[in-house]
Amino acid sequence: MRIDGAAIAGIGMVRFDRHPHRSTSELARDAGLAALHDAGITLADVDEAFVGYIQPAAMIGIKALKELGLTGLPVTHIENASATGLVAFREAAWAVASGRAEVAMAIAFDKMTDMARGSANSRGTGRDQLDSTILPAAYFALWAQRRMHDHGTKPEHFAAIAAKNWNHGALNPLSHRQPDHTVTVEEVLASRMVASPLTAMMACPADDGAACVIVASTEWVRRHQPDRRMVRPIASALQSEAYSPGHTFLGPVVGPATMTATTARLAYEDAGLGPDDLHLALCHDAFANEELEYYELLGFCGEGDGEKLLMAGDTALGGRIPFNTDGGLIARGHPGGPTGLAMVHEIVTQLRGEAGARQVEGARRGLAHLVGGGSVCTVNLFESD
Amino acid sequence: MARVAIEDGYFTIPDDPGEAPRLLGSRCPSCGEHFFPRRMVCAKCLHEGCADVLLGPTGRLYTWTYVHVPLFAKKDGSVEGYGVGQVDLPEGPRVQAILVGGPDDFEIGMTLELDLEDLGPNRDGDEVVIYRFAP
Repeated sequence: MRIDGAAIAGIGMVRFDRHPHRSTSELARDAGLAALHDAGITLADVDEAFVGYIQPAAMIGIKALKELGLTGLPVTHIENASATGLVAFREAAWAVASGRAEVAMAIAFDKMTDMARGSANSRGTGRDQLDSTILPAAYFALWAQRRMHDHGTKPEHFAAIAAKNWNHGALNPLSHRQPDHTVTVEEVLASRMVASPLTAMMACPADDGAACVIVASTEWVRRHQPDRRMVRPIASALQSEAYSPGHTFLGPVVGPATMTATTARLAYEDAGLGPDDLHLALCHDAFANEELEYYELLGFCGEGDGEKLLMAGDTALGGRIPFNTDGGLIARGHPGGPTGLAMVHEIVTQLRGEAGARQVEGARRGLAHLVGGGSVCTVNLFESD
Repeated sequence: MARVAIEDGYFTIPDDPGEAPRLLGSRCPSCGEHFFPRRMVCAKCLHEGCADVLLGPTGRLYTWTYVHVPLFAKKDGSVEGYGVGQVDLPEGPRVQAILVGGPDDFEIGMTLELDLEDLGPNRDGDEVVIYRFAP
């Protein structure tokens, strides 16, 4: 889907962390206010809102939104597992691009720490139980083991990605993990083994948090924010699984790798761009091995060349195409719903040229990718003036 | 004690303990594709009305991992870890399941056999069983 005529008017987020004493409504309120303030407006100026969260309770989105005011605006709830935030953003961008809204809000919140605690005691019954008997780390580890078999990848490669993202997090005040020293490959490898070959430091933390993005028409943004560099979403693709032989139907899975390649191709075609035109990328690095796969599936190098790209330093800050400049899911954190909006937050900060110590020099175009529940993938492209 | 499946419709429990259990799958009469678990609409050609078939009981290990924390479904906290794998059945489906064995027992490409594991009695006193794969 090509997006024309929409721009980012405001961004805001609550730093992802454990927030045991703060409700989802409170987290959403603070992220929402931050974005409204960044846009210079109140909820009265918002024509439509899209609220995302994974935590399964009906209508808690509208309950959270009421903390920002009760203006009667249309509100739609969106859930697409880990991809929720970017899909809420996609809908807000499309609401503006289609002309039905001049200003739209995408807001998401979750308390993953509640979900993680509840999961051991609420496995459900029957197929639910067959479907959920293993940890997320396990099914991503299945992908990592197969890559080691096919391409000779070493645990050191996965550790190098994790260390890079931990160290990116140290440069981001909004990152959950902010190591006070340079994290090394050895340190990542020496951390507790969770599911071979993945260690604890190769995995994202369980987080609570909220994030919000305000999208408005380009005319609106030009009129209200004449002195700020305008960042525009230019394409958004969303795909679910396409059947191929050997598909795994039962159990939590990573999903077919081809889903990311297909989604990226659609986004590039719609934008009239290719990977060489981009200056930074954010991807679903819940586990470090994923980022290595996405170098290839998003088209930044050929199949089997991800290790070369990584070891040349091309995907670190200062490299040719820095990945997960804000620390990624591994360091910045992964509360679930808000994760995609934190990605938009980072891309907008970079494309505005306001990323401080982690600023990518001359960044004008960025990519945000997420997969959700092994069953959906979204790729979104952004451009600044 | 009777043995009952953790959920009906996924695998057989042979009366003869020497007989291997089988997975309950589907075959599309139109395009011939096989699926696990059972489904009505063919995922490949969208034909409505797949036929029931038995799958396995052997397969080849496509990938595996060993998880170093206790299994969710097990109430026994003393279990130190468990294997998980994806197994390619000769008919085509790739099945994700728990594996029997330790961290050093698995190799991609090895042949595995479907197996049943006792999970303990339910409220009626029947033994609840789940399927898994063993080297």
